[in-house]
Amino acid sequence: MEEGSLHTDGNAIAGMLQEVFVAEITAAGRICQSCGLDSQIGAHRHYAGAGHVLRCPGCGNVAAVIAVLPDRNVISLHGTWSLARTSE
Amino acid sequence: MEGTAVLGRLAWREATILAIRQETPDVKTLVLDVPGWPGHAAGQHVDIRLTAEDGYQAQRSYSIASAPDSPDFELTVERIDDGEVSPYLTDDAVPGDGFELRGPIGGYFVWRPGGAEPLLLVGGGSGVVPLMAMLRHRRDTGDETDARLLLSERTLEDVIYRAELEELAAGSVRVGITLTRAEAPPGWEGWTRRIDRDMLTEVGPDPALRPRAYVCGPTPFVEEAARLLVELGHEPARVHTERFGPTGG
Repeated sequence: MEEGSLHTDGNAIAGMLQEVFVAEITAAGRICQSCGLDSQIGAHRHYAGAGHVLRCPGCGNVAAVIAVLPDRNVISLHGTWSLARTSE
Repeated sequence: MEGTAVLGRLAWREATILAIRQETPDVKTLVLDVPGWPGHAAGQHVDIRLTAEDGYQAQRSYSIASAPDSPDFELTVERIDDGEVSPYLTDDAVPGDGFELRGPIGGYFVWRPGGAEPLLLVGGGSGVVPLMAMLRHRRDTGDETDARLLLSERTLEDVIYRAELEELAAGSVRVGITLTRAEAPPGWEGWTRRIDRDMLTEVGPDPALRPRAYVCGPTPFVEEAARLLVELGHEPARVHTERFGPTGG
């Protein structure tokens, strides 16, 4: 299998992210601390293993690590995340 | 959206299959009843969870195929041979059966009518499903956005929604189909090769018109299509991607 076919993207864990943030987060933007790229969370690469890793689509720098534990999900964030919510 | 008191919190709901439609040899559409469904936007997906008698759970994501205003709520599911969820949904499930479902999920791979930018949809295999929700939404709302679809499939009989795509193509949607694993069927006027620059240029629209592009399919397909679009001058931030991985499930 090609290495390039192993990942999906932020859309694939949108449900889990919504559990963690209690909000839709894949349309949120993130500025990578490594390469400076501003991209939406849904566009980030997603790698699944023991947990989940989101990486910058530009340089591959880690954007988030999510540990899935029996009773909770623990997420650590890297770079600058910004979530804009339309006011009602 | 309704239910602002629980905005953002995803609840598992009981879905019941009302009807099943065979789309292609490997693909079926499930018409579902989901009590309390809050509505969705074109391009969103749901998570489905199956629980075995011993408590083992398997969960997968499926794109919503139906348009937001459609009276029928539909998912289209491709059978993956070694999948944990799709073989149940496509082989075993019958009308009246149920499973757990949560959604709608996602906000990045979403299209809403009324924008000034042309719409460019590029799908590989069952990646056409969320794109079809967008085209159905455009049709149902009378939206006049310039819309193009490039679809890559293995063979003609694998093309999902073929009759409906022909109707859309006879209307105002420019539809191009390429068959990657087949001898051209008699009378075939589409392409018979992997997606490339010339194909994307012919489907259009001109990158200078700053179209919103949505690319969905297996990861290698999406990587290649997105790379070609950026090479052709499309703005990376306007190329929205959704990858299924090497297989679905």
